[in-house]
Amino acid sequence: MFRFPRTGLIVALVVVVVAAACSSSSSSTAKPKPSSTTGAAPKVAGSVTVSAASSLTGAFTKIGADFHTAHPRATVTLNFGSSATLATQIQQGAPTDVFASADQSNITVLTSAGLAAGAPTVFARNRLEIVTKPGNPKHVTTLADLAQVGTVSLCAETVPCGKYAAQALTTAGVTIPVGSITRGQDAKATLAAVAAGDAAAAIVYVTDAKSAAATVASVVIPDAQNVVASYPIVVLKAAAGSAAARAFVAYVRSAAGQATLRSFGFLPPA
Amino acid sequence: MAVAAVGFAFVVLPLVGLLRQVAWSQLGADLTTPQARDALRLSLVCSVSATVLAVVLGLPLAWVLARVEFPGRRVARALVLLPMVLPPVVAGVGLFYAFGRDGLVGEYLYRWFGVQLTFSTAGAILAETFVALPFFVITAEAALRNLDRRYEDAALTLGTPRRTVVRRVTLPLVRPALVAGAALAWARALGEFGATITFAGNIQGRTQTVPLAVYLLLESRPQVAIGLSVVLVAVSVAVLALLRDRWWGGS
Repeated sequence: MFRFPRTGLIVALVVVVVAAACSSSSSSTAKPKPSSTTGAAPKVAGSVTVSAASSLTGAFTKIGADFHTAHPRATVTLNFGSSATLATQIQQGAPTDVFASADQSNITVLTSAGLAAGAPTVFARNRLEIVTKPGNPKHVTTLADLAQVGTVSLCAETVPCGKYAAQALTTAGVTIPVGSITRGQDAKATLAAVAAGDAAAAIVYVTDAKSAAATVASVVIPDAQNVVASYPIVVLKAAAGSAAARAFVAYVRSAAGQATLRSFGFLPPA
Repeated sequence: MAVAAVGFAFVVLPLVGLLRQVAWSQLGADLTTPQARDALRLSLVCSVSATVLAVVLGLPLAWVLARVEFPGRRVARALVLLPMVLPPVVAGVGLFYAFGRDGLVGEYLYRWFGVQLTFSTAGAILAETFVALPFFVITAEAALRNLDRRYEDAALTLGTPRRTVVRRVTLPLVRPALVAGAALAWARALGEFGATITFAGNIQGRTQTVPLAVYLLLESRPQVAIGLSVVLVAVSVAVLALLRDRWWGGS
């Protein structure tokens, strides 16, 4: 029958694809090896799964790559999303080693549930900014302008950037009509509504505005109305014995990691 | 037999899992929260409007595809059915570049009439119509194509004007197919998520239909999200019950 070779080919293709997918997520046990001559931090091995707030996408992608360069036998798998969604996933047993959140409350949820190994530490801070279409066609200069500019994109209310935005708007005494607010699931989606959509303005992090570069124009929110977001990071209980996980956190807090965060627009932790 | 059982379980388990989570005593209260009420109202308005539009636009289209020979008919048919297989988010992106404020057509809509479709209820209806239309067209076209022409021919030879033949002979004969097609289109429009959220945004009271509300509420108020999900499951079951005679002989 002429059907046989074709079926065989399809089966072989499926096997190859599945094998490729499986092998990229396999992990080896972490075993720190003593360094050779330079006296630098001992190189670690093993895989680290990091769940990080979406506003950390650019910075952590670079940090992950740099970490792998410094520890060639360690692999970093990055998972970005809204801190609230990630915290829920971890509570439901998602295999994660390190969690970096955009606010304290999502980490507290995990520490109270006994899912964290050790105390969280703040590794960076961020501020909010207004973004508009390039050239700021609607001449937005303050938070108050957002009340009559048209459709404004904000993060969902339970997501850190949504909570921070609500705080800033309350401090400034501004109410945007409900029919003008489109909610994004995380900071990146919220910004996309302006960068790749028809929203007139959005409130996102300074770092998001910086990554979006020429696709948006930024409007500064004065310090008096602005909110400082503190980003804590913690190793999770399931990875308590993983030297690679602890090394990753140490790298984020090291001079090299901090320099990368700074280059993306994050503020130092204190 | 065992594999069939696994297949069945695979399909049924998510439904069972969902129904287990429902707090039945609270369902009424959950579904009357402002966000749930807005979502249910919007879903109803948008899906029904989208279905009407799909029928109005789709019936002439199905007729031409079924009955009129023209060069490139097969390509045209494939293009009309494309939204059926296109990933919904991709459809949303396409709609944006066609009907967004700077889009192909949207630019003129905005410049000449001041009309902006993105982030509006009309935009949500547009997105739902786009994905639902092919479902109606494919059903209607098949029925029109397979219709026994002799009834229409008989009417014509008896002197009935063409338009009356369509109204009194053709359409009544394909009515079951049109109803089924409309039901399918309605169910598809009701469940639409990707194109709606990309093109029309996620605005409570304006474009936040039930699927979009569920997406957001899963974080903040999972019980309400589950309640809304159950409503959609019930509607889906009702649609299947309505269509049962077409797909399997009423058993």
